[in-house]
Amino acid sequence: MNRAGNGSPEAKDAEQAADLLVTVASTLNERLALTADELARSQTMLREASNELMTAFRGAADRIVAAQREDLDTAGGKADEYGVVLDHLYRAVQHLQSHDLVNQLIDAQKMRVDKMREKLGEAISLATPPVRDPGGTEQWIERSRAMLDCIVAGIQQIDDDAKGARTDKRSAGSVDLF
Amino acid sequence: MKTILAVDDSATMREMVAFVLESAGYRVIEAEDGAQGLDRATSTSCDLVITDQNMPNMDGLTLVRSLRELRDYKSVPILLLTTESSDSMKAQGRAAGATGWLVKPFDPATLLEVVQKVLR
Repeated sequence: MNRAGNGSPEAKDAEQAADLLVTVASTLNERLALTADELARSQTMLREASNELMTAFRGAADRIVAAQREDLDTAGGKADEYGVVLDHLYRAVQHLQSHDLVNQLIDAQKMRVDKMREKLGEAISLATPPVRDPGGTEQWIERSRAMLDCIVAGIQQIDDDAKGARTDKRSAGSVDLF
Repeated sequence: MKTILAVDDSATMREMVAFVLESAGYRVIEAEDGAQGLDRATSTSCDLVITDQNMPNMDGLTLVRSLRELRDYKSVPILLLTTESSDSMKAQGRAAGATGWLVKPFDPATLLEVVQKVLR
């Protein structure tokens, strides 16, 4: 960016403030890039574990449902025995759902981080073109204000998304019949 | 054997619902979004529909409204099974014609109780 050079001390201060804002936005963007990467890695690990669990679950579930049908057809009288196995599998069902829901939560977090990074990138790009009058205070202030507006818009977007996605933990498993 | 249509964009969730219901003797057909759910419901006669809310192509509430416009589904029970738990969403579900609202993650025993109740 053009320097304030021989401009007024106010212009130099305003320029420094704009520079500082670029440094902060760039640093924050780098940190968010790391966060995005860690979220992606966590999700991959969780997904791999979930897939393995699902394969094991599927094998047991298919077998028990088939055996149950066979028992019903041949009146084998093993309903109680199968009931015990089913209870164990039902418990697994509840926890496997949690894996799936955590995956969705990570997706939402990743989206928020990406949106914030996009806004920070936009803010940083506002500092690229040279100012018309580097010695003038007003232009540096305007630039800083535009960058801040961009960052605030990103934060607001995150807040709005989070509000929409918030679910009440106490409601999990609840039933309402109309 | 009663036929239940399970609509969810998560394959894991569909499998969980299908396993619980099949282990209790129901026949389950699956669809991965509202649009496919509507298609399945019109091509197969279903005794109950269980649908997620947030899905691509067509969401759960739109599916409920679309099904309620069909003569064959005027009185078929439709349950929403979703992570959405706000009162306003539930009110929308009720207004759309849903029979009930279950919040994920579901307890298999509770799901079976509700299914038996609404199919009675």
